[in-house]
Amino acid sequence: MTTSTPTAGDGERLTPDVVRDVRFTHGTMLHPGYTDTEVDAFVDRVSSELDRLTAENTQLREQLQRLEQQLAAAADRPSPSDQAVGILATAQLTADQYVAEAEAFSRQMTSEARLHYEEQLSQAREKAGAIIQAAQEAGVRISSGRSTPEVSAQPATEDLEEQVAYLRAFGQACRTQLRSYLEALLADVETEWGRAHPAALPEPPSGARVPRQLRGAQASFHSNETAADVGDEQPRTGVPAGTGSTATT
Amino acid sequence: MDIPAMRANFAKAAAHGDHAPLWFYSHLFLSHPETRELFPVSMAHQRDRLFAALGQVVARVDDLDTLVPILQQLGRDHRKFGTVAAHYPAVGASLLATLEHFDDEWDDALAASWTEAYELIAQVMVKAADESTDQPPWWDAEVVDHDRRTLDIAVLKLAPRTPVDYLPGQALSVETELRPRLWRWYSPANAPRPDGMLELHVEARDGGPVSTALVRQVQKGDAVRLGPPVGHLALDTGSERDLLLVAGGTGLAPVKAIIDQVARQGPPRRVDLFVGARNEDAFYDRADLRRLAQELPWLTVTLAVSEDKTSSLEHGDIGDVVLRHGPWANRDAYVAGNPATVEDTVTRLHSHGLPMGRIRTEVFAASRPSPTVDGKVTE
Repeated sequence: MTTSTPTAGDGERLTPDVVRDVRFTHGTMLHPGYTDTEVDAFVDRVSSELDRLTAENTQLREQLQRLEQQLAAAADRPSPSDQAVGILATAQLTADQYVAEAEAFSRQMTSEARLHYEEQLSQAREKAGAIIQAAQEAGVRISSGRSTPEVSAQPATEDLEEQVAYLRAFGQACRTQLRSYLEALLADVETEWGRAHPAALPEPPSGARVPRQLRGAQASFHSNETAADVGDEQPRTGVPAGTGSTATT
Repeated sequence: MDIPAMRANFAKAAAHGDHAPLWFYSHLFLSHPETRELFPVSMAHQRDRLFAALGQVVARVDDLDTLVPILQQLGRDHRKFGTVAAHYPAVGASLLATLEHFDDEWDDALAASWTEAYELIAQVMVKAADESTDQPPWWDAEVVDHDRRTLDIAVLKLAPRTPVDYLPGQALSVETELRPRLWRWYSPANAPRPDGMLELHVEARDGGPVSTALVRQVQKGDAVRLGPPVGHLALDTGSERDLLLVAGGTGLAPVKAIIDQVARQGPPRRVDLFVGARNEDAFYDRADLRRLAQELPWLTVTLAVSEDKTSSLEHGDIGDVVLRHGPWANRDAYVAGNPATVEDTVTRLHSHGLPMGRIRTEVFAASRPSPTVDGKVTE
């Protein structure tokens, strides 16, 4: 028997390596096989080790169960107080109101701007149409009135054609200008509105501070201060609208 | 489970209107702050929906044949919101706390009934969500082209990272980073393509947070997320009848997808497309319609304006123009557009001999954040 003796001292722990490496001495001619005493001693040792492990296992299982119960109890956090729920509800309603107001503002701005755009456009169209028609009628009159000298008719027709072309271009330019003006207005509305992300909400107050905040909460949610803060975070960009972009066209 | 008692208890909470869901969400966010980021900043619409959905569940709780498919669809659809199985107990606890808060006669029996019912609901939803894991909860896509066609309409080309499987005419929900946690429904304007590319037609609605961002702010290279497809305008593949397609506004999108499907898969048939608008400027997709009409010999495209008298196009309301070109009694009709257009066109077609069963419609109006029980995605 080499590395470790099966009968080794009781103090030494039985490990998988010990079992793997165990070597029994061979018997004599009269008693072939391993030496009985060594095998018996080893079996004793293995069984006591198994007993110990089983006991330890049971103990650990109980401990795990206890910890799991504790964990479940911890997860089942105490229900937040009605007061806390009330405060959060008020805050949420305030936020909802701001978003709704922003949406309503945007809706109103956009629809008014569009109405304005369409009115201007149809007026410009009507005007341009009337002028073109008048010019064409005049052209027809002049070219049909063959009695007038060619010399004067020619320049008149050319003039009119030029005028028509000019008016067409003018109409187009009007349209482009109006469109870019309106787009700038709309862009402004969008920027003002800004990006709204739930993660951008301020950190909730720590538990300890909640009671102190309770007293002032109602007032501060509606005070102008809050509104002013929001305004500071998203500064007005001024009106980038019309003037700048239309001037270039 | 004492269903009558539960209904009576739910009615007490529901009688408090907005206060009950407000209390519920506040309770949920206080006890599980990590759930807050699953929701948009404004919770107003969310609150309406929660109790509406719960009301439907409570009303059908003794009719499992109807209820289970609804819950399964809810469970699958909630994956895109980032809902995981671990959130369900949190929601259950706050739901019970809410029902208790609004009922002076709350007792252990009621608590036990609700616990049992909620566990059942959660189990069905979680199971449905788990079973659809062959599909991603959402698809990440990149805006590869953004084309402002008119003041209010943009055509977006999206490249999903993995292909989205949908039927032409169906709608997908879309979320942009610019408006986190707000999902709106749009119909791709093409049948699924080998390269997975999607074309969306988006009309900015005044004050609409998502549509205005998609039209005026989203740029090439931006990321969007797409939710699983839902919808009902899909082409009836069992029919080989010639088609009559009528579109107003961005209702053109699902109708173009149907043309695309006929072009790709057949069977070959005659297709007449009528597109209506107030004036010529509103035809935001005219060039592509011209190209389609040239390339596809079986397709006839007719544009009509209702307000511009000087236009050289056909004049009149689209429903009227369609009838002038009839008869259509042997066609399958697909009508998509704003509510008035759709209703008017359907009434006219029906009164001229087209059976209702062969008219399919999609109303394009302010879209719902989630489909109704019967799958409607706009309101």
